[in-house]
Amino acid sequence: MEFSYEVKDSYAEVKADGRLNMVSAPKLREFVTDVIAGGSNRIVVNLENTAFMDSSGLGALIGCLKAARQAGGDLRIAAVQPQVKMVLQLTSMDKVLTAYPSVEEAFSND
Amino acid sequence: MVSPPEVRRAVVIEDDPDIRGLLVRVLTKQGFIVTEAGEGLTGVEEVRRSQPDLVTLDLNLPDLDGLEVCKLLREFSDAFIVMLTARADELDKLTGLDNGADEYISKPFSPRELQSRINALFRRRPSPAAADTASLSELQRATEVQQSLLPKEDIRVEGYDVAGVFRPSRSVGGDFYDWYQTPEGLHLTFADAMGKGMGAALIAATVRAVMRSTGRRQDLDGAFASASRAIATDLDSSNSFVTLFHARLDAASGKVSYVDAGHGLALHVESGGAAHRLPSGGPPVGAWSGSEWPQSGLDLAPGDCLVVVSDGVLDVFETVEDFTEAVRRATQSEHSAQAASSAILSLAPAETAEDDVTVVVVRRLPEGVAA
Repeated sequence: MEFSYEVKDSYAEVKADGRLNMVSAPKLREFVTDVIAGGSNRIVVNLENTAFMDSSGLGALIGCLKAARQAGGDLRIAAVQPQVKMVLQLTSMDKVLTAYPSVEEAFSND
Repeated sequence: MVSPPEVRRAVVIEDDPDIRGLLVRVLTKQGFIVTEAGEGLTGVEEVRRSQPDLVTLDLNLPDLDGLEVCKLLREFSDAFIVMLTARADELDKLTGLDNGADEYISKPFSPRELQSRINALFRRRPSPAAADTASLSELQRATEVQQSLLPKEDIRVEGYDVAGVFRPSRSVGGDFYDWYQTPEGLHLTFADAMGKGMGAALIAATVRAVMRSTGRRQDLDGAFASASRAIATDLDSSNSFVTLFHARLDAASGKVSYVDAGHGLALHVESGGAAHRLPSGGPPVGAWSGSEWPQSGLDLAPGDCLVVVSDGVLDVFETVEDFTEAVRRATQSEHSAQAASSAILSLAPAETAEDDVTVVVVRRLPEGVAA
């Protein structure tokens, strides 16, 4: 899995490309924590190229969300693919991790 | 940790010298250090000696059946096993069986197909040789913990047929199920702890103990709330969570009360009718503080089944709807809980399942059938 980030006007976009599983989950957590530590507390995770997520991957997203909120910000996810959406719905985590169609829309209303 | 430059080894077990030569060439080109054997028994010895990452295994060998060889190899080797067969019609039958192979290829094969299938295998999980011995022994301990969580006693509830099956993955997940009899019927817990290995297995053990301890409380809501609080406290320090389905059956009426925390893969399969998936009532336990889980219920009519499946089966399907339909068919095609469990388990072929696979079936017997 490959990570990259870009600081936009009112948020930082984190791209996570590949499979979000037990191997890559801790790396995502670490990556996002670094971005937050760098001063961005409003994070959009772009999941456009994340075709698969397992429970460890979900755990990492939850951990990142907690970290962003603790820093006084928020974390939102965008461009969620079908398998990831399925995991979020089954676990009822779609109510906690808000999914937006695109990165631009994630923080457009606040 | 810095990974050492990877040296990958392969063993080719094949009696036809021409095909053997071709396989050796293809694999060498792919960067493997390849050794070969023309018979099953010499092949097993070669695998024991060279401890390869990959074995290609012909199904028809002069001394032993390829399936026998595969079984022998699995006793000590964690290598990827690619089985080759000249009979395309055997392929379907083989892939449905849990015989320890990771991939099947029919002869004649194209070298490119072989290469891409092998690449896919190595993408799916890291080379087994890369795992150090310390983590292997941890894996064994985790397996022991996990096995110890499953109910040892058979359960006999008047008018019902109850069965569960569990197939651990090679990487040991946090699945378990537990059940016990009560004066009214039975209590059933089905859980999957996040992640794999020793951590997940220990969390599963904690969850089982906590859920058992709340069995005496009459009100399911209260019992679940206090159990989830206890579990969440333990989970908080480990940054983990657990999906949990807990149900109580009143045998005489067929009423099932349940709480689903983030599992979402329990189904009510009506006798000869539709299957309804029971949506989860809230997030997994430990995932999000302040969560609440409403109690729900359903009525098991005679012939109906309550089926709980782990996500290891779901992974095989594109959508939840496909999954639900396949589980419905598998359940209705069998006439005992044990057979139905096995049929559902086989929906996730062992060679593709990365995760544990667990299935529990509670079947209310049709009227006029003695337990």
